[in-house]
Amino acid sequence: MSADTVIRPRRNSLRPVWEEKPTLIGQFGKGAILTVVVLAVLVPLWTVAVTSLSSEKTINEAGGYVFIPREFNPSAYVVIFSGGQVTDAILVSTIVTVAGTALSLIVTVLAAYGLSRPGTLGHRGILFYFLLTFLIYPGMIPSYLVVTGLGLKDNLLSLILPTAISAFNLVVLRAFFMSIPGELYDSARIDGAGELRILTRIVLPLSKAVTAVVGLFYAVGYWNAFFNAILYIDRSDLQPVQRVLQQFILAGQSPATSGAAVAIPGLGSSVPPSLAIKMAVVVVTIVPALIIYPFIQRHFTKGVIIGAVKG
Amino acid sequence: MGNTLPGASTNRRNFLGLVGLGAVSLASGGTLAGCSKEPGAKGAATTAEQAAGVVPTFKDSTLLPPDVKGIRPMADGYVNYPKSLVDAITEKASPSGKPITATTPWWGPAPPAANKLNEAVNADMGAVINFSIQDGNTYGDKLNTLLAARDVPELTCIPGWEINKLARFSEGVQVLFEDLTPHLAGDKVNAYPLLAGLDTKAWQDSVWGGKLMAVPFPTDAPYPSVLFYRKDVADERGIAAPTTLDELYDFGKKFTNPAKGEWAFGDIWLEVQQICGAGGSENGWIKQADGKVVHRYEIPEFKRALEFMTKLYAEKLIHPDLAGSEGGDVMTLFKGGKIFMYATGGGSWKETWRPAVQTNPKFNMQAVKVFGADKGQAPVRWQSRSAIIWTFIKKGLGQERTQELLRVLNYTAAPIGSKEWELQNYGVEGTHFKRDASGAPVTNDLFVKEFANQYVFLGGRPPVVVGGPDIPTYAKDFVTWGNDATQYLEKNPWDGIKVETPSQQAAIEQPTQDKVTDILRGRTPISEFDKIVSDWKAGGGDAARDFYAKVLADNGR
Repeated sequence: MSADTVIRPRRNSLRPVWEEKPTLIGQFGKGAILTVVVLAVLVPLWTVAVTSLSSEKTINEAGGYVFIPREFNPSAYVVIFSGGQVTDAILVSTIVTVAGTALSLIVTVLAAYGLSRPGTLGHRGILFYFLLTFLIYPGMIPSYLVVTGLGLKDNLLSLILPTAISAFNLVVLRAFFMSIPGELYDSARIDGAGELRILTRIVLPLSKAVTAVVGLFYAVGYWNAFFNAILYIDRSDLQPVQRVLQQFILAGQSPATSGAAVAIPGLGSSVPPSLAIKMAVVVVTIVPALIIYPFIQRHFTKGVIIGAVKG
Repeated sequence: MGNTLPGASTNRRNFLGLVGLGAVSLASGGTLAGCSKEPGAKGAATTAEQAAGVVPTFKDSTLLPPDVKGIRPMADGYVNYPKSLVDAITEKASPSGKPITATTPWWGPAPPAANKLNEAVNADMGAVINFSIQDGNTYGDKLNTLLAARDVPELTCIPGWEINKLARFSEGVQVLFEDLTPHLAGDKVNAYPLLAGLDTKAWQDSVWGGKLMAVPFPTDAPYPSVLFYRKDVADERGIAAPTTLDELYDFGKKFTNPAKGEWAFGDIWLEVQQICGAGGSENGWIKQADGKVVHRYEIPEFKRALEFMTKLYAEKLIHPDLAGSEGGDVMTLFKGGKIFMYATGGGSWKETWRPAVQTNPKFNMQAVKVFGADKGQAPVRWQSRSAIIWTFIKKGLGQERTQELLRVLNYTAAPIGSKEWELQNYGVEGTHFKRDASGAPVTNDLFVKEFANQYVFLGGRPPVVVGGPDIPTYAKDFVTWGNDATQYLEKNPWDGIKVETPSQQAAIEQPTQDKVTDILRGRTPISEFDKIVSDWKAGGGDAARDFYAKVLADNGR
């Protein structure tokens, strides 16, 4: 290739493209796309919130979801909070989430730390055993037999113990711990630190971001606990919030059998909760996530990338 | 509450045993592990003769003459609430006083455990029932686990549509639940007089493997669907209810106005099939005049219905939220005048009408008198099974305990006009309801919170249609409509035989229905339908035909 056939950028400038001043069309384009994305998130939330604050009449006139607020009618919230069921469920879910996340973090950090140190006793075998759970899931009925056999039915521990440790989170944490330079461990050892001190004083402070993300994964999992509650929790006062949410949302809907809707006698004598109540329950269940997320957000991006590119 | 296993305290040794048990269940592939030698792939049938020998002798338990007599299997109608109530049962159901565990489904928020309605009924009945009320929409998952783990409560309430989905139920039922034949067959039922008042056909439906295995909950209307329309709006606009398929199409055209946010229809597919004359009450199977057993998919009437329905979708006469399966709430759309006609189970009539008149006193929802596709052509009405829910008693509790439990079920089968019926359906006067001028109960918020049909689901009851002052014509409308429709009820040659679908057909049913839905929604051309049917035949349809034909031959039908 001769010198004068060197490919030149079509632009006059020689600067790389990211140092250029953005064009007007580019800016508008980006703005429009971002607006659409933001609206796609906000419109459903807005509709849910407005519907939850509307009267039965407004909802019937709108034919369902209300978009334009016509009144401020908090009666749906009065109904759900006076019933006791939603408040009980929020309390249950909070306990399960806080206790479960704490327990999960402790066992995951300890396991990941142990498995990240070369030369730990049985380290390969144990790691393989953990990784095996990626491939083989015990199945619903064996899990049920074990949990009920341990006497955990109608016990909040049944929502925590079966999901207390996730092999995925363990692998992410272990990969991060392994990336910490060995010199730090050596210097700590020379200063006389034991394993526990190294973990709490050196490794954990360096792993705040990834620990926060793993904690968030666990917390979201516990807050969303649903199927385990179907299997293990019969008492209505121990139901977590997602089950109560589902009961409200689907209340009054007749089940369909192969091609034929079945009428359930007795449903007619009890009026199902209105759409406003259903939406109020939706609002109540998403509020905690909305409150907590901003505090963890700054760790979130960083932590997820760390887990993704090293391993 | 009750369901913990014995030996709940677990030491290290039996923990390892449990883990081993889990591994065995896993190896045997999940559901109903260890219940049987043979898989239930072939289907099963209890012959009519077998069933006839074990059912209880019927003895009418009606206390009040109805206002509108239903032509069986349509229930009787009561326009007004009974003025005076009688005490139907005086003896205590459970002298031992030992708490009874029970599981029932409910489609709504579960009531609290500390429950005044439960306390009152328990006290009146003389038994302590500890309910585990499960969400109806996930009830199948829960049942699958309970049955497979053999961890059933003393009383287990199972809806028919869930039984169809439970693997190898016909074998599991014998292992897990008590045979009630020695307690209830023939005149033995006299010890439980209110159970004797349940419909004989419903009892025939409660026979598995030649044994009476459960107490049935008879249906109150034998129709899987009813075509409802907004009579108030139709009258206002001067448009009559349709009487032919063409008029149904015109109805759709006249009521659809997307600019005003109005569409004529919700889903009416079930009704269109019946209007066109496509029978098949027995899982879609029909015995033709020449003795040949065919499925609904194979007859021209079904294809006509498919073409008509596809046209309604293509011309956008069905509300887009429902057509797109976008989770539109059909009841809200109907109440709000966004759609004017839809098909659903008859049970939803009262459930929709009652709250709607609170906000719109003119609201009038009526069932369209049944009609055939063309003038002078009779429609077909599918007939649902006589029993829709069953309550099973746990096996091996001993004679005395089983009798106690049957007395509980006898109590819950109390008919209208008894104090027991009112208590179970409305709770306690002053606590859960007050009476209006006519004497009918008007329930309050506490009732809505505490009521989950829990007692009513347990023991069946002679079904009735009861109106109220807010919907004064309801009972008469429903029973009159149902009585008229009974003349078109399809004669089901498998009637009285308990047929359990071969698993191959059960497995291919949903995918085939999904393909039909694709045609309806215009995602697949209608020309593909013949291929869908031939795939269905090859994939289990033909095998199922042989099975259904054999069942008829075995019964000499």
